[in-house]
Formats: sequence, C-alpha cells, structure tokens
Amino acid sequence: MSAPGRLESEYRGAEREGFPAGGRALPPRRLWWLAAGFGVWCSALVVLYALHAIGCAFAWPAATLRLTLVVVLLAHLVVIGWMWRNAARAAPEPAFGQTGSFLDAAIVWTAIAAFVATVLTFGPPLLLATCI
Amino acid sequence: MSSSVEPPAPASTALRLHRQLVAIWATGPGLQRLAAVNHSVIGMRMMITSFAFFAIAGVLGMLTRVQLATPNAAFMDAETYNQVFTMHGSMMLFLFAIPMVESFAVYLTPKMLGTRDFAFPRLTAYGYWCYLFGATILTGSLLAGVAPNSGWFMYTPLSSNVYTPGVNADVWLLGVTFVEISALSLAMEIVVSILKMRAPGMSLDRMPIFAWYILVTALMMIVAFPPLILGSILLEVERAFGLVFFDPTRGGDPLLWQHLFWLFGHPDVYIIFLPMAAVLSTIIPVFANRPLVGYRAIVVAIIALAFLSFGIWVHHMFTVGIPHLALAFFSAGSAIVAVPTAVQIFAWLATLAHGKPRWDLPMLYVFGFFFVFVLGGLTGVMLAMVPFDWQAHDTYFVVAHMHYVVGGALAFPMLAGLYYWLPLLTGRTAVQRLSTVAFWLVFIGFNMTFFMMHLTGLLGMPRRIYTYHGNEAWNWLNLLSSVGGFIMTIGFALVVIDLVVQLRYGRRVRRDPWRATTLEWAMPIPPQPYAFASIPHVGAETERGAGQIALSLARGDGYLGFVRNGWQETLGVHITTGEPDQLIVLPQPTYLPLVTAIATAAAVLGLLFKLYLLSLVVALVIAGLFVFAAQRSGHARDYGPLPVGRGVSVPPHTEVADAPPWLALICTLVADGTLFTSLLFGTFYLWIAAPNWPGAVAPDPSRMLALGAAVALVLAAVAARGSLRALAGGGKAQGWVGLAMLALLAAIAAVVAMIAGVTPHPREHALGATAAALLSYIAVHAGIGLLFLLSNLLRLHGGFVSPRRLLDMRLTRLWVDYTMVTGGIALALVLALPSLVTLLGARP
Repeated sequence: MSAPGRLESEYRGAEREGFPAGGRALPPRRLWWLAAGFGVWCSALVVLYALHAIGCAFAWPAATLRLTLVVVLLAHLVVIGWMWRNAARAAPEPAFGQTGSFLDAAIVWTAIAAFVATVLTFGPPLLLATCI
Repeated sequence: MSSSVEPPAPASTALRLHRQLVAIWATGPGLQRLAAVNHSVIGMRMMITSFAFFAIAGVLGMLTRVQLATPNAAFMDAETYNQVFTMHGSMMLFLFAIPMVESFAVYLTPKMLGTRDFAFPRLTAYGYWCYLFGATILTGSLLAGVAPNSGWFMYTPLSSNVYTPGVNADVWLLGVTFVEISALSLAMEIVVSILKMRAPGMSLDRMPIFAWYILVTALMMIVAFPPLILGSILLEVERAFGLVFFDPTRGGDPLLWQHLFWLFGHPDVYIIFLPMAAVLSTIIPVFANRPLVGYRAIVVAIIALAFLSFGIWVHHMFTVGIPHLALAFFSAGSAIVAVPTAVQIFAWLATLAHGKPRWDLPMLYVFGFFFVFVLGGLTGVMLAMVPFDWQAHDTYFVVAHMHYVVGGALAFPMLAGLYYWLPLLTGRTAVQRLSTVAFWLVFIGFNMTFFMMHLTGLLGMPRRIYTYHGNEAWNWLNLLSSVGGFIMTIGFALVVIDLVVQLRYGRRVRRDPWRATTLEWAMPIPPQPYAFASIPHVGAETERGAGQIALSLARGDGYLGFVRNGWQETLGVHITTGEPDQLIVLPQPTYLPLVTAIATAAAVLGLLFKLYLLSLVVALVIAGLFVFAAQRSGHARDYGPLPVGRGVSVPPHTEVADAPPWLALICTLVADGTLFTSLLFGTFYLWIAAPNWPGAVAPDPSRMLALGAAVALVLAAVAARGSLRALAGGGKAQGWVGLAMLALLAAIAAVVAMIAGVTPHPREHALGATAAALLSYIAVHAGIGLLFLLSNLLRLHGGFVSPRRLLDMRLTRLWVDYTMVTGGIALALVLALPSLVTLLGARP
C-alpha cells in the first residue's frame, strides 16, 4: 500500500474507534446536504442579480434579458427539484438509526423550503420591467 | 508533559476527585487570573464586560433622548450629538449585543453539551482580550472627544477623508475590526466544539436545541463578518494611504461600502436574534413541563432563516436607485423570511398550549418578548414592501422597527435567560417582588419609547437630526418617547439592583431548581472549573433529568472520572453519532492570549496614530507569538488508544484525522474565502457600477511575473504534499518544507513586483487599487503560509510530528492549497482587468 493509502487507512482506523457495534456511523459529509438546497438558492440570487446588472449595464434587449433570467431561474429550480426528489426517494438506512432518519427528514424539508423560497423570491419579480 | 499511559486508578470519592480536578483545571489566584483560559471564567467576564458596555451605551441613548426631548435644545451641539448617537449604535451592536450573545454561548454551550471546555481555550481568552481592548479604544475616543461621528453604519462619502478628516472614522474602522477578531475567533471555536466535543451518545438528533441555534449562529458569523472586515480594511486603506475604492471621482463607488456593510449588517440581526431564540426554546419547554414541539421543524427553520437572512441585505438600500426588478428579489426575500421565524413562534406557542405552564419570573420576560417581537416582525414585513419603505425611509419609523427587532428581541429573552440561569451562576434566586416591578418598568418604558417612534416616523420625523423647530406635528409624541426612555432606564437600574441584592440576600437553591433536562444543571452550582467531574453518556440515564445524574457524575461514574498526568482531558466525538473517537488534551492557563492581545492592540493603535513602522514590527511579533503558541500544543510521542472510562479507549486528538484544529482551519478558510469572494464581488461591482471606469487607462500587468507567481504557488503546494508524503512514509520532511518556503518567498517577490508596477496608480484610480488589493491578498496568504512552514520545521525538530501525528503537515498542506487556488483566481482576474475595461468601452 502506498504511503498516503496507509495514512488514509490509519485515519479510518482511528475514526472507527467507538462506532456503534453492528452499525455504521453516519458520514459527517452528509451534513453538507442540509445546506445544499439553500446553497442553490444563494447561487440563484447571485447569478440572477449579477446577470440583471450586466444586462442592464450593457443595454441588452428586455426580452433577451428576461429570457436569460427565466432560464437561469429554471435551471436552479431543476437542481433543487432534483435534490428534493433524490432526498425524498432515498430510503433511510437502518444502520444509521435514529440520527440517520432525523437528518434525512431535515434534508428533505430544507430542500422543499429552498424550492418554495426560490419560486417565491425570484419568480414573480421576473414579470416586472427589466431595467427601470 | 508526562508520558504515563497506565490506566489511572479511579478516584474513591467524589470529594477526592473534585480536589484532584480542581488542582488541574482551576485558574490561579491574584495576577494568575490574567492567565485564565477556562470557558466559565471567560464567559462570565465577557458577560460582565458586555453589560458594562450596555450601561455606557444606554447612558448615551438617554443623552440623545434628553437632547431630542425638546425643540432647539442646547444640551449638546451637533458634533457632540453625532458622536453620541454614533457610539450609542456602535456600542449596542458591536460591544454589547454580539459579545453578550457570545458570552451566553461561551458560558453555557460546553456545559449543555456535557463537555469540560471549548476546543481552543487560549483562543477563547484571546478573543475576550481583543474584545476588551478594542472596546476600550472605542470608549476612550469618546472621552477624548474624537469618537466616530458618521453613524453606526459609517456610510461613505461622509466617513471618507474629505468629510471626516480627523481620526473619528479611523477609530471605528480599526476598533470595530479589532473587536470582530474576537467575534470570529469565538465563532470558529463554537462551531468546532459543538461538532466535535459533545457528551458521548449525544448524536445530532439528541443535541439540545440550544446547541443547534448556537451552531447555526456561529456559522453565520463566520460568513457574515468577513464582508464588513473587508469593507473596513478598504475604507481604512483609502483614508490612510489614498488607495481608491469608494471615491466616485476616481473610479470608486460609495455604494460598494453599503453593499459590504449590509452583507454583514442584515445577517447580524439574526446573529443576535437566533441565540435569544435558543434561550426561549430552552426555557419555554421547562416552564411548559413538556418537550419542545417541532424540534425537527425548528432545525429546518433556523437553517432556512440563516440562508434567507444573507439574501436580503439590499432591503436596507431600497432608495439608492437599484432597478425595480432587482429590488423585487430582495423585497420578496424580506417578506418570506418571516415564515421560518413564524415557525419558531408557533412551535413555542404550541409547546405552551400542549403543556402545563407554570408562571415564574423568566416567563414574564418571555411574554414581553412575544409582544415586542411580533410587533417588530410585522413592521419588518411592512418595510420589506418597497413603496412603503420609500415613504418611511430615514424616518423614526425605521428607528422604531429596528429597536423592536434588535432591542426588544434581544433585551427580553436576555433577561429571561439571565433570571433562568442566575441560580446556576450564583447558586441563588432572584428577589421576586423587585424583579417583577423591574420587568413592568422595562416593558412599559420600552413600548412607550419605541412605539411612539412609529408614529413620529409616520408623521415625518427624520432620523439623525440633533434638533428641530418645535412646530412639528410629532413634538408631543417625541417627548413621550423621551419620558418612556427614562422609565425604561429606571427599570434596567432596578434589574441591576435586583441582581446585586440577589447575590447578597437571594435564597440559596439546590441543584436544578427549575427541573430542567439540559446538562448544565447536572453539575454543582456554581459550576466548578472542570464543569463535569466525569462526562455523562447521553441516553436512557440522562433522560431522567439533569438533577438525577449529577451525583453519579460527581462520583466519577461517567467518562474520564479520574485524572492522568495532570492533563486537562475531555472527549472528542464523532460528528454525527456522538460516539467517542478521541481524547482531547487542552492547554492549561497561560498569559500568552493576554500578551498576544496586548500586541494586537499595539498594532491597532500604531495604525490609528499613523505609526506604521511600529505596527509592522508588532505584527511580526504577533506572528511570532502565534508560532510560539503552536509549539506548546500536542504530544512529543505516540500514545495509541488510551482508556477513557466505561471500557472505552480512544487515541489522543493528535493521532486522529478529524482533530479540532483540522475543523478550525476549515472554518477559517470558509471565513477567508468569504472575504476573498467579497473582494471579487467588489472588483466586479466597481467594474459594472462605478463611474469613470470606461475612460480609465487600461492596466498592463506583467504576464511573466504573473506566470512566475502562479508557478511558485503550485510548486509550494506540491512541496507541501511532498513533506506530508515523506513523513507518512517514515522519511524526512525538512527538505520539502524548505522547498515550499522558497517557493512561497518567490511567489511573494513576484507579487510585490506586480504591485509596484500596477497601472493606473492605485491612488489615481480604483482600477489600480483593486488590482493592488487582489495581489496583496496573495502576498499576505503566502506570508502566512511561511509561518505555517516555519512552525512545521520547529515542531519537526521538537519531535511533535511523526507518521501517526501528521496534523501539522496536513494543516499546512490545506493552507498552501487554499493560497494556490485563491492566488490563481486573483492573478487571473488581474490579468483579465484590461479586457474588462475594453469590454466596458464597447457598451452601447
């Protein structure tokens, strides 16, 4: 085994100390999913706000600018929708126990909240005049 | 450090264990108190200090009410009034509100998590001293008559050199940034400690809701503070050295300051509110005699709230001329942020409705909170509507709203929490009658002061005026506001008297007087420096109530119910499951945090008095102190798994992958990355929005130097990896470390040469200033990378690093990787600036 491989194996060995007997520890990286839905919401805000500023500064035609913003919004909704579907479909792994169920439910609901927030925050404004 | 690994003999009695632990954990008497690093000591100091600044800021607020009570008042002149109202706001926000909520977090979080201390006690102490010294500089300026006078938001161009030529604005920029070091360091400390230092068995779903709130708040702080720190640095650099960022006549834009300020300022409202919501979510179930309704919904709500609060900063800028479509994004966001807030309020109401509430003093303040916060929330939704905001902007309606959401939502839960946890702090309860009178005076006074401001604002009373004619329709309502202010102040004075009386004459209470379930009550009151004589296992045994397990913990029946080698030991756990995975050995009391904070204060004062050479020298001393501090951490030998009680053995934190310093560096890089992103945002913002960019002289950065810097950064990253690989394979790493140092030196040299050749000159145009700022970012990070590598060399020499103890090298690798990535982006943007300027020229 290569040196880094040995190293990783040792780390994993250290991490295994104290894991529940017969079960698996829920990987900490799963926590990132709690932030994923609203992370995409943030991305939508930044991209829409920046594109709108650039479009207005460079005098893009109103229809082009609006269409661009709509496409960007839809792309973000697709991503959050995929997250929602993915999280909702994944059956909780029994090995992760109550903590896994708790986290799974929280991830699904943050994705739903982020989806609704994205629709409400960025959808209706796109009907307004673009650069006034 | 001693090197015994023998399983220690269990202490035979609770008293003997107590004595053994006190000998290890206690802070010494006399001057040794200055070396304290314990969270209970620092948390208490921070609480007392923040309340001292609350008192000062309160007096300043009263002075403004005296001045405004009657027309044409000669109580203060315009300049004094400007300083007083600026310092009232700045002190309340930066020196009271944020440190106060942090002090609650510092004092309570480890105890609620069932651990003995925070992950980085020296950082806790350093944070406190930075707060104290920074706050003292700000307060001192008030006494010297040179306090900040541009409002607590320091809008440019008012705060620029042209309109504020004295040191007033510098005091704010440097003093507040100094205090923010404290806020950021404590935020990282809190995140790492909550994730890694809970009681065994405390999986994420069993974590007290208080910890979820504090975790989310601390994460918000890590992301919210950097934009303001960047803004403060840029404005101070503009004021001190003439580099242009905000001056519109030279390609800057004053609105950039507003964006950077409110990117911090709006989340800050929730940074203050969420810990107070944590207090409410802890107290209400105890008094309702039932578990909190909707634990999971609340976790989702606070995550949503945290994100949404970052996306609505522009609602403070509705009147600056942003197109309607963009305003609508922020208007809608500002309205829907009320939803996750309402989820919490309904969860609290449902808990009360489904429980058997008992009425006690903290609940009076909970009632006060509900009344005030719902009102403040409703006016918030009103102000989120752009047409209404345009009417109410810059009137006292906004002042009223702000005080309801920031003042009321802070003050009432704070006092509820204070009365709830005072038995823990002092071992005594409040004198009931005095406390009740105090509550009603605060409640009536608060509403009389600030409700009237809604009306005066709607009648047209403008903000930030120091006097008025006396024929305005709002005169008598405004006078009532001042009267209400005095009633509220008398109420707060009674609270102080009540606390003093309680300390002296309050009825002594037994442990867990409220029959709570959280672990802070499972210890002797007042708490001992070691917090828990042994660490509980969260599960069936802790569900009986905190008071029920206290005796068995005191006897040492939990984890680590013994002492070993004089080490300050506590447990690290798996982030999600809460199973023990490492033994964390904490540093003992030291003067190092105090000395480092004094040096930091000297550097800040040097900048303030324009003694830049002194600041530079002291900055090098501070760097040396940090390297020195690193030399005193960890172990000089491998231990392998060590017994921690209850049949469990775990390795020390120096021998595992996810030790607290690793997570702390990730948090640091998240904060740093936010600052870098803000700098990129600033560059693009000036490009698209600032006047005078299209006609600017196109910059011509040296491609050769840029290539040299990029290659050097990549080489440093490769060498850092090489050092880690060599050490893991049992070889020597010094050569790789030396190579990495040389590469970083080369990168610094190339970048400094690029800064020297930046065109247009950074003092002439913002284009040059932003290029210089981006390049300086690389140089500073490469410089810090050198410190990491220097520390590596020293620790390799001292035997603190081995194939099992690779943490130092992994930290360095991560830092150098980050420097390489951000450096690459910064260099690419500097090289792209000429094309961006050309693109502007092609606009229709």
